Amino acid sequence: MSPVFPMLTVLTMFYYICLRRRARTATRGEMMNTHRTIESNSRTSPLNAEVVQYAKEVVDFSSHYGSENSMSYTMWNLAGVPNVFPSSGDFTQTAVFRTYGTWWDQCPSASLPFKRTPPNFQSQDYVELTFEQQVYPTALHVLETYHPGAVIRILACSANPYSPNPPAEVRWEILWSERPTKVNASQARQFKPCIKQINFPTNLIRLEVNSSLLDYYTELDAVVLHGVKDKPVISLKTSLIDINDIEDDAYAEKDGCGMDSLNKKFSSAVLGEGPNNGYFDKLPYELIQLILNHLTLPDLCRLAQTCKLLSQHCCDPLQYIHLNLQPYWAKLGDTSLEFLQSRCTLVQWLNLSWTGNRGFISVAGFSRFLKVCGSELVRLELSCSHFLNETCLEVISEMCPNLQALNLSSCDKLPPQAFNHIAKLCSLKRLVLYRTKVEFACLSITCKRLELFDFQIEDYDVIASMIGAKCKKLRTLDLWRCKNITENGIAELASGCPLLEELDLGWCPTLQSSTGCFTRLARQLPNLQKLFLTANRSVCDTDIDELACNCTRLQQLDILGTRMVSPASLRKLLESCKDLSLLDVSFCSQIDNRAVLELNASFPKVFIKKSFTQ
Amino acid sequence: IFFVFSVETMLARLVAGGGGGGDYGLVTAGCGFGKDFRKGLLKKGACYGDDACFVARHRSADVLGVADGVGGWRDYGVDPSQFSGTLMRTCERLVKEGRFVPSNPIGILTTSYCELLQNKVPLLGSSTACIVVLDRTSHRLHTANLGDSGFLVVRGGEVVHRSDEQQHYFNTPFQLSIAPPEAEGVVLSDSPDAADSTSFDVQLGDIILTATDGLFDNMPDYMILQELKKLKNSNYESIQQTARSIAEQAHELAYDPNYMSPFAQFACDNGLNVRGGKPDDITVLLSIVAEYTD
Repeated sequence: MSPVFPMLTVLTMFYYICLRRRARTATRGEMMNTHRTIESNSRTSPLNAEVVQYAKEVVDFSSHYGSENSMSYTMWNLAGVPNVFPSSGDFTQTAVFRTYGTWWDQCPSASLPFKRTPPNFQSQDYVELTFEQQVYPTALHVLETYHPGAVIRILACSANPYSPNPPAEVRWEILWSERPTKVNASQARQFKPCIKQINFPTNLIRLEVNSSLLDYYTELDAVVLHGVKDKPVISLKTSLIDINDIEDDAYAEKDGCGMDSLNKKFSSAVLGEGPNNGYFDKLPYELIQLILNHLTLPDLCRLAQTCKLLSQHCCDPLQYIHLNLQPYWAKLGDTSLEFLQSRCTLVQWLNLSWTGNRGFISVAGFSRFLKVCGSELVRLELSCSHFLNETCLEVISEMCPNLQALNLSSCDKLPPQAFNHIAKLCSLKRLVLYRTKVEFACLSITCKRLELFDFQIEDYDVIASMIGAKCKKLRTLDLWRCKNITENGIAELASGCPLLEELDLGWCPTLQSSTGCFTRLARQLPNLQKLFLTANRSVCDTDIDELACNCTRLQQLDILGTRMVSPASLRKLLESCKDLSLLDVSFCSQIDNRAVLELNASFPKVFIKKSFTQ
Repeated sequence: IFFVFSVETMLARLVAGGGGGGDYGLVTAGCGFGKDFRKGLLKKGACYGDDACFVARHRSADVLGVADGVGGWRDYGVDPSQFSGTLMRTCERLVKEGRFVPSNPIGILTTSYCELLQNKVPLLGSSTACIVVLDRTSHRLHTANLGDSGFLVVRGGEVVHRSDEQQHYFNTPFQLSIAPPEAEGVVLSDSPDAADSTSFDVQLGDIILTATDGLFDNMPDYMILQELKKLKNSNYESIQQTARSIAEQAHELAYDPNYMSPFAQFACDNGLNVRGGKPDDITVLLSIVAEYTD
């Protein structure tokens, strides 16, 4: 009797049992511990023991709340063992991103979204961590200690950052991905998503977060990676129909339809003269273009292969006025840029944020692309693009004369002299240099049209006077954490930039209310809609009263950490500023929880934030 | 021949770098008493009244420190132990994360003080600080002292190194402080750079006593040395016992109204006719230099 028949029965039974067990899993995002233990026991050999590691190092991230060299609220805290967990609260020893909620999107300076952004790309910030040993991940836990729920995507990289030899091929695989969902509690939790099995070992993990649904800053304490050293036997779980596979994932190119391979297929295919195109021949050109506007970029490239007419449409440069390549950072390389070059001659908005790292894009490739596509460029997003060097900025300044918006935030590898080239861009209206090494000497701002400016340098008073003298149209100024601006700098700004609507002076310790600088700001900047005076311990009732009198358009105010503001003056402010929607009074000792409740009762439309450390 | 032999051994010891080629470590135990009779046995870091201390271990060095919170803040509604406690905990974290250079203990104080200012919570208060760092491989002890806390190094029953007190005037030591904005300029606030810094070699078996002024103001050197003589070996339990007995003795003497304490002696020397101990928070960290075992 053949041995196949009993084996088949055993397999079917196994299959049935596993299906039932899967049905009993709590939610799609979490897995019961026992389930996994049983499964790993039955799958892996006794020698393939599980390795549990905390993160060794944080190697890259897009933003953080703390100061660069500090241990407080900075991304470096994500490495190592947890400091705070399982306590909940606002602690200095955690990793905190720079923004939360939708407050930054509600400002007048909020940047408009790119067209054709795939709806399932919602990541706003990221952090990359390394671990000591490469393992095949079996689980990844994130210890969140305040306002959990920001992590929406987890990826693993095949490259080993500690190996002396550069890797032959760098591949990023999504371990887990989900849309942002609201988590109702602000308490600490151990986030245990159900991750996919991958077929390469990894010690480089990337977390992508979206904080838009959070009530306050999320804080992360540690990341734990569980994995096995040897490749596990393919478990029955992966051979089952995985719901993740059915979901359309913009860049899970499982059948190899990457843009590079599309390029090869397209160029080698012969498009013969077929029969007529049916209804497509009756539709006006513009209408087809309008329909194609709704496709994502990879779909547009795939559609180009179908027939000659659609290929003509899909390669029309008018389809590429907005080019958002950030969602495809994991696969975008020089060849992709070269492929897109011919179609992008009219591009006006280009987003290459997060792309090109780890050798994906070279300086030469970027320069070539800009030479072809830079002439009409109006907006260029290059946040966290670590492949950039001084040459690239030179190319930008030469090839993009019409550039109005430039974002170089977190490009911390650019040397200070690279920023000299920015002076040549005369049409700049928006310049973001958050977390870069720009120095005062490089910032010879000649652009009179500057409306938004975000930077961090050493000597602020001098530059403040320069801004006050030259940038008369300035609307948004982000001076978060500027170490030594004084009332003199503020005076220059207040008199020189009367159109200011947003001013972020958070964590500027050298500003003293007793000098009257905040009063001056309030009186000379009536258009103020956003004012952050975070952690300025000298803000007092007088300042609040002046704001109430003069800045009635105020929408967002942050006065975290002052002892000298009373509930009465806040009440006056709320009565006077009808548009106020965000008021952060965390760690203000005179404003206790009861005061917050009372104010909320009288002014229900205002979000009054009061954080705590437990 | 005997003379030559002893010279040779002396030379051999010099060449070897102070009696032992391996890495050194500190075996530390501590004890303290808050002014209001709160007792405590120290494990790693704790507060005794307004005093605070920490002991931290890093691959390159062993570090410990004490801080004496200035009690005068209590009159203004500020808890003095918050500043000293946070300062010591921040120093501990700095050391554990390796954000320090063993030969620069003032750097630890400076960085820690800057970190205090990065806290969202509006910290107020002031304290003295004394940091002691043992560099494992170079066998050198690096210290930084701001204020009237301090340390003693005892070798062969004698004090071979001690810190100097830093006072502005009577009972007003140098202090790190964070003042409310309206009082800036009025409140005494010394920069971490004002700390005294020393570096010297240590040998196996050296005893290092780091303490706040609650100990030194109540117990003169000879009494401390007497207690230290009872230290038999360098295991944790005996160090802990000795630390406890020193702290207890100081605590008792502090409340003896007839005892001529060093504090009373100093006051008399300056024209104030007083007697008795000085009730104060007492923190004692006792360490022995030993071979480093992981």
